[in-house]
Amino acid sequence: MSTKEKLMSMSEAVSHHVHDGDTVFFGGFIQQNPCAAAHEIIRQGKKNLTLSSAASLTIVDQMIGAGIVKRLITTFTWNVLPGPAHCFIRSLTRGVPHKIELEEYSLLALNLAYFAGSLDLPYVAAKTSLGSGFDWEQSRSGVTNRLKFEKSPFTGERVCLVPPVKHDVGIMQVQRSDPYGNAQAWGMLGESRFGLQSCERIIVCAEEIVSADTILRDPNRTIVPAFRVSAVVEEPWGSHPSPLTGYYDMDWLFFGYYERESRTQESFEEFMKKWVYGVKGRKEYLQLLDAKRLEGLRPEKFMSEPISYGKFTRHFEV
Amino acid sequence: MSEKPQRSSPLEQMIVSASRLIEDGTVLLVGTQWPVLVTLLAKRLHAPNATLCYEGGIVLGRIPDRVPLFSADPVMNASSALMGDSLDTLGMILHAGRAHMGLISAAMVDRYGNINTTCVGDYASPRIRFGGSGGACDFASLASRLVVILEHDKRRFPEKVDFITTPGYLQGKDSRARVGLRSNTGPYAVVTTLALFQFDDEGEMILRAYHPAASIEDVKKSVQWDLKVDEEAQPLQPPSEEELKALRELDPHGMYLKNARTLEGIEISV
Repeated sequence: MSTKEKLMSMSEAVSHHVHDGDTVFFGGFIQQNPCAAAHEIIRQGKKNLTLSSAASLTIVDQMIGAGIVKRLITTFTWNVLPGPAHCFIRSLTRGVPHKIELEEYSLLALNLAYFAGSLDLPYVAAKTSLGSGFDWEQSRSGVTNRLKFEKSPFTGERVCLVPPVKHDVGIMQVQRSDPYGNAQAWGMLGESRFGLQSCERIIVCAEEIVSADTILRDPNRTIVPAFRVSAVVEEPWGSHPSPLTGYYDMDWLFFGYYERESRTQESFEEFMKKWVYGVKGRKEYLQLLDAKRLEGLRPEKFMSEPISYGKFTRHFEV
Repeated sequence: MSEKPQRSSPLEQMIVSASRLIEDGTVLLVGTQWPVLVTLLAKRLHAPNATLCYEGGIVLGRIPDRVPLFSADPVMNASSALMGDSLDTLGMILHAGRAHMGLISAAMVDRYGNINTTCVGDYASPRIRFGGSGGACDFASLASRLVVILEHDKRRFPEKVDFITTPGYLQGKDSRARVGLRSNTGPYAVVTTLALFQFDDEGEMILRAYHPAASIEDVKKSVQWDLKVDEEAQPLQPPSEEELKALRELDPHGMYLKNARTLEGIEISV
């Protein structure tokens, strides 16, 4: 086990590990979005980023609107509510603030691309996306992705070849981590496990820092082991307005608020001045929110039964 | 039993009509928006043994206490039999051929059941841009039956969509087989606030049933091509009292039934 402590502030983690031009994976399938980290990336003015995110929500929209995105790897880009991601749409339809490049897949295809990336497989063959617009060979749709279509050498049937998608750095908000980076997440994990494992560097943002012993008593919940992690940031409420299993609900009124404020580039910039550029970090961001309403997002406790992994202390005797 | 049946809204008719397509004991891949409520209604009424799976990696364990606003709502955290990775549901259930039915919402549907949730106009410089596939393309590629649920609007039924996010019968006939899609897959029904459509042997959409307050002519005028009509097309059976009661209990604040999820017309203070 890696025993180097990697605790640092969000500002240090982003400044040391996210570089201009990087391909950055944002974990969390709607739940567990690393929102605090994304805001710090925007504040530090990182440039020419390629974002990779299976379900791209408000943070992706905000980074596009802030003009720091060159390319987006995605399957779906929207607000959680049935309201569009306005910055994403402005970029693609009007080039405001500039036009981003797209690498677009179906959700299963991108999950397989992360899977291939995490194992360093040359590709994975699948039976999805055939004949659709993602199948550029058949559809001539003009879609931009890296899929290829071939006959299976085993059965002769037409298959979709999914390339590995790899990242320079990956970020995810988790429930807890020890100071070394053994990070534990639970709930709906979406693409996060394979997305994170396909990253060269990993920034873990945790609601709570716990002891190594806490991790050792429940290793099934570890999503990434310490030796793969570059930085550990303690950041409570780091996913707001997205939800985090066991910690807080989605703040769906805030999603609605953002959807309205982002309808024009001007009002979007006002939103960013207040919630991103106008604060030093997540603590100040949280002070802008009604504390009572925030507390109302806490769920009732719904405890699991404790389980035992079983411990052996005596050597075999022969 | 002489009580007068309650009046239902077109949305309620759509949701009930779609839920009746679900058979007990089947495995369902549930997309976001309308399918969330449609499948919970079926599970509550006539399909208690249906297995509901969601693209983020959830297999549902029980009907949640609060209606999920989307397919990854955190209310599922305490209602799931399995919470894992997307590859658990999209991979080891859907790609493995174990899903009897996939259900999705859609922006636009064409004559052959091809669905567009990507863009209108050229992909490289679209006039209108939507959110994209998510798992919809995978549901349509791999589930035995695909059910599409959307509010009816003529603009959403072009003869040919600009981008096939989600493959229907493509250009009709054997075109799914030609591109390599599995033979036992494809659209099964399209359910709207106005009608229920299925597909004929050519893979073309055909009107099977229509809203009791509408006529066949109304439906024909509400799509952008010369719609085929089943000889036995008939009015949809209105929701029963039991169906309406269950539906309104599932969604007591009208998140779906009155579209309250969109927060239109509501003051928001954060």
